[in-house]
Amino acid sequence: MSQNQHIERFQKGWKIFIKNPLGKTGVTLLLIFMLMAIASFFIPLIDPMYDPMTGIDPLIKTSTGPSMQHFLGTDNVGRDLFAQLMEGAKIAFIVGLSSAFISIVMGTVIGMISGYAGGMTDIILMRMADIIMIMPSLVILLILASLFGQFNIWIIVFIIAIMRWPAVSRIIRSQTLSLKSRPFIEASRVAGASNIRIIFRHIMPNVLPLAFLYMTFRVTSAILVEAALSFLGFGDPSQVSWGMMLQWVWKSGYMFQAPYWMIPPGLCISLLTLSFYMLGRAMDEVLDPRLRKEEEER
Amino acid sequence: MEDKEKRPIPVMELKGVTKEYCLRDSFFSRGSTCVIAMNNVNLAIQKGEIFGLVGQSGSGKTTTGRLMVKLENPSKGVIKLNGEPLSNIQGKALKSYRSKVQMIFQDPYQSLNPHLSISETILEPLIVNKIGDAHSREQKVINTLDIVGLAPAREYYNRYPHQLSGGQRQRVAIARAIVLDPEFIVADEPTSMLDATIAIQLFKLLKQIRKKYNMAFLFITHNLAAAKYLCDRIAVIHNGVIVETGSTNVVIRYPQHPYTKKLIETHPGFNF
Repeated sequence: MSQNQHIERFQKGWKIFIKNPLGKTGVTLLLIFMLMAIASFFIPLIDPMYDPMTGIDPLIKTSTGPSMQHFLGTDNVGRDLFAQLMEGAKIAFIVGLSSAFISIVMGTVIGMISGYAGGMTDIILMRMADIIMIMPSLVILLILASLFGQFNIWIIVFIIAIMRWPAVSRIIRSQTLSLKSRPFIEASRVAGASNIRIIFRHIMPNVLPLAFLYMTFRVTSAILVEAALSFLGFGDPSQVSWGMMLQWVWKSGYMFQAPYWMIPPGLCISLLTLSFYMLGRAMDEVLDPRLRKEEEER
Repeated sequence: MEDKEKRPIPVMELKGVTKEYCLRDSFFSRGSTCVIAMNNVNLAIQKGEIFGLVGQSGSGKTTTGRLMVKLENPSKGVIKLNGEPLSNIQGKALKSYRSKVQMIFQDPYQSLNPHLSISETILEPLIVNKIGDAHSREQKVINTLDIVGLAPAREYYNRYPHQLSGGQRQRVAIARAIVLDPEFIVADEPTSMLDATIAIQLFKLLKQIRKKYNMAFLFITHNLAAAKYLCDRIAVIHNGVIVETGSTNVVIRYPQHPYTKKLIETHPGFNF
């Protein structure tokens, strides 16, 4: 029965979500990119030549335009650009989702503790958040990368996550503050529940929808930061990403000779971030309490 | 003083309790303005008694209830449970206190977590106080649901608050308060959000529970008629001061304090 409840609530939300033109477009775009990411696992299996990193077409010595063999052409050493684009989608999802997930978990936990505990804990945690929030994450990453050499993709993910939790924690904190004084929290305290239990059992389910909403926006920013970093030449050199493709086209001097090489990754970065952004906006509408009330009354 | 020895030890006793809320004037100045919510309040509630606390809004009656369940601490004075004073109890002592003193909140739409089912809500006090095992807890919840009149209990067991009416929600809140078999319950205007017929049903329920478990209640209300129906003794509170205490009939029939008289006059059709 409780399972049915959740399903019912989800279906209701989904209806509002999919009616929204932003939601519809966002989901469609996202599905296309998901297919691309899944395809990246199979392309090298067709022919080792299509491996995005190591597969080199033996017949090709320079960058060539689209052909039947290579849908988008090849780069200057004969690697297939279409395969690289698929691989880039996979990396973008990994970077975007995992760094968004880490920053949401951190932001939610810190925000809940800060809002619930109040006093000195609140002041210390929020000043820390302020300090991190005003730091330009790309510049910090560039400085770190130039100090310690090129980073592994997971270290980049982690640093982006660390830079991006404060905004989430501020939102969650303010939500927690308004929940804290609600009678059901006090009822739980009267029943003898510990602070930890109150935070995770009573406050968390009430702030999670908001956290998920913010996760979509975090994904967008993580993808953009990673792309910028890679384009500037500080990405993980052992991974193909869209930013990396742009870096290669720039470095090899084909920037203005090979539009078939330069345009697709740029377009993909824009479209994927756009689709997450639209997803977030549509979710915003689902979570908007005024709208939800209207839906309930019907 | 002789009188005191004859009487049994009260379940809940307030002695000279004062509660002030202070706000600093501004960030830079040292001074502060204080609002006195309760001023030197003395109350003693006996076992099995329903004690009414009557007053208008802002008179300090809710504060009194919140102090008793230790949601807040008094600025001055002592609160005693079964004769034992509690000043700064913590840890285990606080937990055992919590299991003996429970509260029913005013607004049943706010006092239940919308994300928890009815069973989860009522189970919580049992779980946090580590009473029984999974099976006996479930049985206890079902029994309690039966007692508060949510029958058949199985049908309500997995429902969520938004599927219940206000009266049913308040019954769930009552179930949560009595599931630990407490000795004392603070009921903070439990029916002010509900209509009159449902209020009467809930009053009957509270009386039943009192009879069955011999629990003591502090019934906080602004409604003299409700207090008259339900309470054995009442205290009238005005601006944080208890102006009159006594058995309900006596206080309502022969009010001594001018404020009590005024309060009774404002209830039209309150004929005796």
